[in-house]
Amino acid sequence: MDLPFHLFPELFWHAFSLWYVIIPAVLLGIIVGAIPGFSAANTIIILLPLALSVDVETGLVFMVALYSSSRMGAGIPAILVNIPGTGGAAATPLDGYPMTQQGRAPQALAMSFMASTFGGLFTSVVALFCLPILTQVVYYVHSVEMVVIMLFGMSLIASIAARDPLKGLVAGLFGMMLGAIGADHIYGTPRGTMGFLELYDGLPIIPALVGLFALSEAFLIIEGESIVSKAGRDLMVKAGWGPTIEGVKMTIERWWHVVWTSLIGLLIGIVPGAGAGIAAFTAYQQSRFFSKTPDLYGTGHPEGLIAPESANNGVTSGTLIPLLVLGLPGGLTAAVMMIVLQLHDVLLGPQLFVEDPKLAYGVIMTMAVTYIFMIPTILPLARYMSRITLVSTSYMTPTILSFTLTGAFVARDYAFDMYLALVFGAIGYVARKTGFHVAAILIGCILGPLLEQYLLRAMRISEGDPMVLFSSTLGNVLWVLLVVTLVFPYLFDWMRKRRAAAEAGAAEARS
Amino acid sequence: MRDFTLTRRAMLARLGAAGAAAALPWSARAAGFPERAIDIVVPTRAGGGADRSLRAIANVWEKYLGQKVEPGFFPGASGQVGYALYTGKRDPDAYSLIYGNMGPELIGWVLQKPEYRFPEDWVYFFRTDNEPTVCFVRAESEFQSIEQVVEAAKKKTLTVGTSRLPHPASIGILALGEETGAKFNLVPLSGGNKTIAGVMTGEVDIGVLPAGVKPRTGNQSRILCVFDRKNPLKDSLDGAPTANEVFGTNIPSLPSSRAFGIHTKAKMDHPDRLAVLSESLSKTFADPQLKTEVEKAKVAWETIEAGDEAACTEYAEGIIALAKKYEPLLTGKG
Repeated sequence: MDLPFHLFPELFWHAFSLWYVIIPAVLLGIIVGAIPGFSAANTIIILLPLALSVDVETGLVFMVALYSSSRMGAGIPAILVNIPGTGGAAATPLDGYPMTQQGRAPQALAMSFMASTFGGLFTSVVALFCLPILTQVVYYVHSVEMVVIMLFGMSLIASIAARDPLKGLVAGLFGMMLGAIGADHIYGTPRGTMGFLELYDGLPIIPALVGLFALSEAFLIIEGESIVSKAGRDLMVKAGWGPTIEGVKMTIERWWHVVWTSLIGLLIGIVPGAGAGIAAFTAYQQSRFFSKTPDLYGTGHPEGLIAPESANNGVTSGTLIPLLVLGLPGGLTAAVMMIVLQLHDVLLGPQLFVEDPKLAYGVIMTMAVTYIFMIPTILPLARYMSRITLVSTSYMTPTILSFTLTGAFVARDYAFDMYLALVFGAIGYVARKTGFHVAAILIGCILGPLLEQYLLRAMRISEGDPMVLFSSTLGNVLWVLLVVTLVFPYLFDWMRKRRAAAEAGAAEARS
Repeated sequence: MRDFTLTRRAMLARLGAAGAAAALPWSARAAGFPERAIDIVVPTRAGGGADRSLRAIANVWEKYLGQKVEPGFFPGASGQVGYALYTGKRDPDAYSLIYGNMGPELIGWVLQKPEYRFPEDWVYFFRTDNEPTVCFVRAESEFQSIEQVVEAAKKKTLTVGTSRLPHPASIGILALGEETGAKFNLVPLSGGNKTIAGVMTGEVDIGVLPAGVKPRTGNQSRILCVFDRKNPLKDSLDGAPTANEVFGTNIPSLPSSRAFGIHTKAKMDHPDRLAVLSESLSKTFADPQLKTEVEKAKVAWETIEAGDEAACTEYAEGIIALAKKYEPLLTGKG
């Protein structure tokens, strides 16, 4: 596949000229992304008649802009009120919400917007220029490699458990047990569904997310007057544009962090079915691993917010690659986009890049241009959006309850999911009160079933031979990196303590 | 559209239904039916194949029905959520129907043994399409024909990607293996898209899916054989032969077949209403506008094949028997 570089400037200006489609789609995407349970896929399905009534290019630009911006929108409630509306935003509140509680919501939002847009923009450009190379990823990353990638994300439980090993591991294992609910991935035999058909396809992730994070938070914040600390409240009341600009500067200072964590998202996004959740958790875990201040993660650390937000937007660029080049949709939104394209008689695959390169490359260019439009559209709103955190909890709690329960319902239109969210709210509340980390439960819930799915698939393909897990070169490289990731922090910690003890001993001897 | 052949059973069923309807006084026949919209429970996701064909049919059907057709999508549990909702929570008054994919959903019903019963709780009364299931590989695959696949699978077990084990296509490849001595290892990949991904990226050797895989993958895939008595889409399926033609086997037809279903109680209590529904559907399928609507929805017109209750029952009984036969292999208990 030869890249038509000469087309790129023309495609760029053409995408720019479609601002009247992109800006409304961006605004709509941010809104649907910010409402828990809604998603780009649901919205495109609802707007299917509209997408089909316009020409293919306009429809495609609209869908791509909506998809990109909805991913960023999901970060807003995750930061402000601890409601990650999608699996991709599940790692965002780990550091985003503590920032809000400290009265640094405008900084957090600005950082999220900057990391999302620059991560998305950067990966779109990389996708555009490295398309032939990146396409190869799908041929090398199979179930075995995905097992190891899942374990990278799961190892975040170990990091969380480092502060309180027993409670962290119990929470992680409890999450994995909950994640095992549903039909098994091979024979479809129901497990732990308690007779509820609604649990047959596994634990629905939106009710679990909003229950564990948002509802348990709502139950907790009612005990106080505000979600923001007293000092944070004073900061917020006086805040002008300064904190927003500070958030922008903080992200620019960490530009390298945006680059490499968004690349993690891009690579994981290319693998069909991997999804933004695993990308966000893996990026967060890797960010923590390479950080000089890993202990600050979970307390409102800027890099802990930048990593998942860059990665989940990197996924959007990655998802387009198998969709366009191979006709393989990487997720639900891509699958819906594929249906729309097929109804417009667009045959996806390598031929598309030969027969209609303007459309094929134009889609990726549109995504890049969308991210350029997103910054001026959303950034000025950070200051005003963050004011929501000053609302009294007596209003905030019922609002969160109604929004999250609605969000739990709309994802599948089952009333059952609202009750399930309440159950998870109670679990989250008890966990928080007793010092168990809800994030560890959630990681188990989200990544546990995926790990099981890939593991069982690999075992099925190898007819039960566990050595299949070490049968690929890429997989073995990933295994080594995983071991390094798990062992080195403890090794460094031990060496640091040993050096400190030696220095203390030497100082004592001198005195 | 394929020829609509009226079998003896079908003719008897039609005559019986017509006789029963005619025997009723006019006032007792579906006076004014339907007076409101017909609610259709679809046990799969919005935007999928059932959605597309149902919308195409509904656009014409509403003309003969005089009322709206309102689909509601209740996916989950391989169709069980939709069926449980339909049989348990919808009134058996003929105003509520189910539009399902008989093959996978009946196989799932046999294997999972849910509480709702067939045919005691619902029956299918009008088939709308018959999409053959196929065996396919990626274009660059070493396998150029189904003979090569079988030869290779006699020496070494081949991995076969399938959307799920309870599917007519899965039974097709198992039956082929049983008849030829080839060894196939079915790998469920959780849906059609992921099955295509598994085959295209080389994670599995071959794949089995409904014929819709071809228009989705274009020249990136090659169809090797069809699990049916004949290949109605020969030209658009790479001219692939049927497995029976190649190996002289007697594998039954294993299409993916969609149909409208109705509560058995509604069928018994309101035969007049059922007659109105069946007649209006027959008129729909005789209307040339249907072809336009079907093609607009990107559904292969050649797969559209109307069938009455007898045809549905024949298919259902056949697929249930096959599911029972292969139950040990499909549930891992064999």
